[in-house]
Amino acid sequence: MTLNLHAVLETLGFTATFLLLPPLIVGVIRKTKARFQNRIGAPVLQPYYDLLKLLSKSETISKHTSWIFRSTAAVNLSMLIILAFLAPWTSFRPFDLASDLFLVIYLLALTRFFTVLSALDAGSAFGGFGASREVTLALLVEPSVILCLASLGSVSQSSDLAFVFSFKNMELLNQPGLWFLAGCGLFLASLVELSRMPADDPTTHLELTMVHEAMILENSAANLALVEYSHFLKILILLGISSQCLLHAVPYFWHSTELIRAGASIACILLMAVSIAVIESVAVKLRWTKLPEFIAYSVAMSIFCVFIALGKNLN
Amino acid sequence: MKIERIEMSLSELHEKLPHTLGKNSENRLGLLTSIDGGQLATLLLNPKDGTAGLLVSPLENNSYRSFTPQLAQFHWFERALFDFFGIVADGHPRFKHLLLHDQYEGDFFPLRKIALPANFQNVLPRRYEFFEVKGEGVYELPVGPIHAGVIEPGHFRFSCFGETIVNLEIRLGWVHRGVEKRLTEVPWQKAHFVAEAAASDTACANAFAHAIAIESILEVKVSERAQYLRTIALEIERLAMHVIDVGGIGTDIGLLGISSAMGRLRGKALALADLISGSRFLRGFIFPGGVRPVSERKLSEIKAGVIGLRKDLAPVIQILSENQMATERMKDIGRLSRSLAQEFGMVGILARACGIEYDSRQCFEQGKFPELAPPITTELGGDILARTRVRIGEIATTLDTIEKLLDGCPHGEDKITLPASLPANATGLGIVEATRGELIHLIFTDEAGKICRYSIKDPSFENWTAISIAIRENLIADFPLCNKSMALSYSGNDL
Repeated sequence: MTLNLHAVLETLGFTATFLLLPPLIVGVIRKTKARFQNRIGAPVLQPYYDLLKLLSKSETISKHTSWIFRSTAAVNLSMLIILAFLAPWTSFRPFDLASDLFLVIYLLALTRFFTVLSALDAGSAFGGFGASREVTLALLVEPSVILCLASLGSVSQSSDLAFVFSFKNMELLNQPGLWFLAGCGLFLASLVELSRMPADDPTTHLELTMVHEAMILENSAANLALVEYSHFLKILILLGISSQCLLHAVPYFWHSTELIRAGASIACILLMAVSIAVIESVAVKLRWTKLPEFIAYSVAMSIFCVFIALGKNLN
Repeated sequence: MKIERIEMSLSELHEKLPHTLGKNSENRLGLLTSIDGGQLATLLLNPKDGTAGLLVSPLENNSYRSFTPQLAQFHWFERALFDFFGIVADGHPRFKHLLLHDQYEGDFFPLRKIALPANFQNVLPRRYEFFEVKGEGVYELPVGPIHAGVIEPGHFRFSCFGETIVNLEIRLGWVHRGVEKRLTEVPWQKAHFVAEAAASDTACANAFAHAIAIESILEVKVSERAQYLRTIALEIERLAMHVIDVGGIGTDIGLLGISSAMGRLRGKALALADLISGSRFLRGFIFPGGVRPVSERKLSEIKAGVIGLRKDLAPVIQILSENQMATERMKDIGRLSRSLAQEFGMVGILARACGIEYDSRQCFEQGKFPELAPPITTELGGDILARTRVRIGEIATTLDTIEKLLDGCPHGEDKITLPASLPANATGLGIVEATRGELIHLIFTDEAGKICRYSIKDPSFENWTAISIAIRENLIADFPLCNKSMALSYSGNDL
């Protein structure tokens, strides 16, 4: 067996990208937000420094916690790394792994399940709070994510996301409308999934209003670093999937080289980070009871995707 | 301020108060306290004709029939009266400690000067019991006294049903420093340093009220220039506070652009304070007898600063008021009804936001007010939006007032020389509209002309109850915003 140097390099490049990119995305969001507020803001690389700082701190663990709290960070990180290999967050993939769309969605749900468990585990009032809110939001967003991806799968006659997002499926070439709607629907759903504005304010210090932050109040030091990093990785994956939908909507990328596509994937993710920052700068954090109205936009888009897919299949 | 002192027996007081303070009456309760523990001292204010009356009723047996069941505005005053004097209010519906916590000895009543009756039995256990809401699915959520932000300490005990708040009980007193007692111990000439430290963000208003009270005891009048400068300082303090409070609303609804812009502009307002007094928080500027000297050049710089600030504030305020999402976020949340606000004697922004037209600048003598007092800003909504709008409206009227005062400020002496000692057995009263509302300083002197009792009523003292009322049946996630919209003081309340 000959060692395929090219394949090794590709794998290394891919792994390095998804390991190193997530904090940068967050850095870009924070920097853009700071500029919107007329502030210089922390350096773009600050999230990396923060993670390193957290890793070197000593940890405080509530004595009321069980093994769930201790292992959640590791479980989540490993699941997200698996997802990074499976989910179509970039056009460039070194392995030919089949990735069923339900596997991807429910691996994501499994990370949420563990986060929620660990939030409940510490028994603090705010953990329970955050957990209950997170689950409520997840419940509302889930149909939108499933319907967007399923309608793409239905048109391409496959539930393998690797195949759907491969720029090879000719059934999907002439469906820019479907791709665009799915991309926007997934982007709006991601805002909620990732606890960004207008669902949750990631910069707030007010425990009573938090969703994601409330769940990780008990985590500290390396544990917190892993939780934060997993969350960053989740941002990369979810923004990646919606940016891939948008790229597929542009016929140019169907005919371009792999390198251009790979570059465009990264650029599109960063662009989405900037747009998140813009949204967070001009939008107000919505009242909790108004959130279903916001999620309805995403669900409506996903339902339009279903209509398009149905129309296509009926022909 | 002139104050009329009336001796009145307890039974007469019981007959009089329900009429004078009942619904639709012109009067309001200034404060209820005691001088040495042997009497009730009830301060009644008449905002309409700007007069004040002090009803002093000797106590027999260290207790009285509670006024709270008929007049809700007494409820905290009566609890504080027990904490500090050991005077028992019989029949108070929720009689428990207010500011002194579990650590204190059972019979420790710090402001009491006469001996407790021999048969005195402490009716309250030191251990504080929170009001408990029972029922399936109701849970308690303790928040504070240490919070995630850099704010003062206060404990909030929520009883929630899902995401809805059923009841909120607020426990304060964590920053009780014994200001009132300390004020009777320091020489009166230096007491203004202690008085203005009662609440640092209200330093100017506290110093102002203190100065008015002392001057009313001495029956002196300060120069016209000092009156103008004091009023300018008071309004600069209001301006800085209102600006940062509107910015705080921006933080809590997630409009960070507003909050950072307002934070910067508050710095500019504080720079005006620095120009007039040499201290960004107006410390040491106002004292009995006058103010520190201010040069004409500084005054013209302040004028330029005010004009600049008005220009800078306009676009930020416009962005906030025209943001549809922000308006929707604030509307109908934390609503306080006008009738409850009236019943509990609430003051300041939150009273004006539910349509109560009470601004002590219009009623009671304080510097150049009520002569040059701006019109009252009111809203009818009673919700967070209304409170924010009142603040925004007051920013505008305050800017106008400062300009008007700067234009009219005459030349003359900064201060007058005061007599060496205070008259004996006198009572002095100072009422100032601080940023948060009506602030009262009430001073009693003894036979030797020494201050024997110094009572401060911060506007937050009445208004803390408003949060408990306004947040009921609201979402728990809306509490921080509601709290911010009221922006009450912990240290001013705890004293």
